[in-house]
Amino acid sequence: MGRIELVGVTKRFGTAEVIPELSLEIEPGEFAVLLGPSGCGKSTLLRMMAGLEALTAGEIHIGGRRVDGLPPGQRGVAMVFQSYALYPHMSVADNLAFGLRNIGMAKEEIATRTREAARILEIEHLLERKPMQLSGGQRQRVAIGRAIVKEPQAFLFDEPLSNLDAALRARTRVEIARLHQRMGSTMIFVTHDQVEAMTMATRIVVLNKGRIEQIGSPLEIYRRPATRFVAGFIGTPGMNFLPVDMAEGAGGHAEVVLPGGTRLATGIPSRNLPSNAGSLTLGVRPEAVRVNPDGPVKAEVEFVEHLGDRTHLHVALPGGAQLVVEDAGESVVRAGEHIALTADGARLHLFDAADRAYSAA
Amino acid sequence: MSLSSARSASGTASRVRAGRMDSHQFGDRLLLGLVILLAILWTVPLVWVLGLSFKPNDVLMHSTGGILSAPFTLKNYADILASSNVFTWILNSIIVSGGQTVLTLVVCSLAGYGFARTEFPFKGVIFALVLAGLAVPEQAIVIPLFKMFADINLHNTYAALILPRLAVPFGVFLMTQYFRAVPREIEEAALLDNASRLKIFLVVVLPLSIPAQATLGIYTFLASWNDYLWPLISASKPEMFTLTVGLASTQMNFAQSEGIGFLMAQAIFAGLPILILYLFFQRHIVTAVAGTTVR
Ligand SMILES: Nc1ncnc2c1ncn2[C@@H]1O[C@H](COP(=O)(O)OP(=O)(O)OP(=O)(O)O)[C@@H](O)[C@H]1O
Ligand SMILES: [Mg+2]
Repeated sequence: MGRIELVGVTKRFGTAEVIPELSLEIEPGEFAVLLGPSGCGKSTLLRMMAGLEALTAGEIHIGGRRVDGLPPGQRGVAMVFQSYALYPHMSVADNLAFGLRNIGMAKEEIATRTREAARILEIEHLLERKPMQLSGGQRQRVAIGRAIVKEPQAFLFDEPLSNLDAALRARTRVEIARLHQRMGSTMIFVTHDQVEAMTMATRIVVLNKGRIEQIGSPLEIYRRPATRFVAGFIGTPGMNFLPVDMAEGAGGHAEVVLPGGTRLATGIPSRNLPSNAGSLTLGVRPEAVRVNPDGPVKAEVEFVEHLGDRTHLHVALPGGAQLVVEDAGESVVRAGEHIALTADGARLHLFDAADRAYSAA
Repeated sequence: MSLSSARSASGTASRVRAGRMDSHQFGDRLLLGLVILLAILWTVPLVWVLGLSFKPNDVLMHSTGGILSAPFTLKNYADILASSNVFTWILNSIIVSGGQTVLTLVVCSLAGYGFARTEFPFKGVIFALVLAGLAVPEQAIVIPLFKMFADINLHNTYAALILPRLAVPFGVFLMTQYFRAVPREIEEAALLDNASRLKIFLVVVLPLSIPAQATLGIYTFLASWNDYLWPLISASKPEMFTLTVGLASTQMNFAQSEGIGFLMAQAIFAGLPILILYLFFQRHIVTAVAGTTVR
């Protein structure tokens, strides 16, 4: 169960800087998810840890050992690829055993580990098959099995769920999380899917253009996003952003003026805000707003999405600003109606011109 | 043989497009009829050759019709076997074709993997040079080649018969393309599994390329077996002849008129090993000709 440390890791492809100097520590036993949009360098980062991509600069330590000069096989990591990358001409059993044979492990030990991994993943009945004869989900398990048998310091997953259908993805998500609980190994999981990140991670590392935007537990990231990027990336539907003006607040909390002129009290301490905060952006999640006849914010409903367990109302504020608001599943609100809204001041966020976030304590 | 595979291919097609069964069945029949017709057209000359090979030469001097009526004879085949060198020539052909095939596969696989997966200076230029070889006709290099092998005193050896044919631009190109199509992640997984580069090549990548190896191997073997020009030029001693050159050397001056039966028997005899090979590797040859794919 190794601790992973990246120090000043930099990666350039030719002249294109994909990862500007990045440092990161992942504690033993953590389930760290690298989350970010496509092309932000998640795979590159993971592949540098695995040894499949050379570092332009920096150091990588795994389990207290500097590994960035070592070949992939000697770093004590196992990787699960998005395409599974099973050996097509080898049986499942041989796929699992290949890596162990290569380090000259004793036959009995290989057999024991293979059997144990197959049992955990419930693929014992598939051991004699070739990858071609497996379903996508089964291949996925074999790929994970190939990692498990190595008993590595750390597991590296590169979007291993993206080739599965929605139902199987949800189930495998839980299984991988359970596997982590049971084995207690360090796991690094790359994804651009925030739901995967939120459900599996003990810690999320949000990446944007090769830089770390924020590191934190899923709830921290959800409740107190550090930047506008993080705030917008987490949550479905995404956070609403409205340009607002500052107003004199009471009780040391900031108050803002919405585009339509409505004043809204927030739970954000005024003293935290920059003094010359001219133009700010208000961030409000759909689930932080409620339909309330006595609410201060008037709005016109433009479009209603019924999802069963909840309803999304797309509304327009008097100033013309658009907003998505969550309502109960049995919502009776219809398009064209005029409604009133309240927002939970403690769940509002403000962003300054540099996109830094300010949240309630 | 080609018939049955054509039928099963169109049968699969009709199963895939279930639904409008009737019109497809009609289409299948039409196709089948066409294939049968073509097969007959192809077969007639061969059957004729076979028939002629069993006829006495003096009968054939008068008429080459009536191949289905007596008299028949095995003398033509006996004459071939009587030529004391014929088994030497068969052995030579097997050694030359077999050696060429094996070595071509080795060279092309290594070169293909090198071009597909390793980085070295001037790779693009070198690859372009290899491909330029595709445009050079064999006849253009025969004389320098002859002189080269004469200079190093290799004529009338197996080496001389085999070596010039190991430069196979097409084979290198084929293997390069094939290895490029192997998903990189499979090799990366093997790297993480502690496999050395050589082991990855031998144990992971090479087995995946078997369809391409079969294609290249079969083409090489057939071309080598039927090769005439270079063995004719290089081998001047009868005991170093390949079968094609050897058989040709036994033909008399007036074979076209006086020895037609013998000539035909030679043709059948020379083709026999290839026919046997075809029977064994039919499936692979069909895929080889139909084109190959990864996975
Ligand atoms: N071998 C390479 N040569 C040049 N550029 C590369 C190479 N590999 C990746 N890149 C670039 O580096 C950037 C990051 O790529 P990377 O694959 O790490 O993104 P990612 O975050 O994994 O994206 P995705 O979610 O789509 O997988 C991209 O802009 C990509 O074009
Ligand atoms: Mg990626």
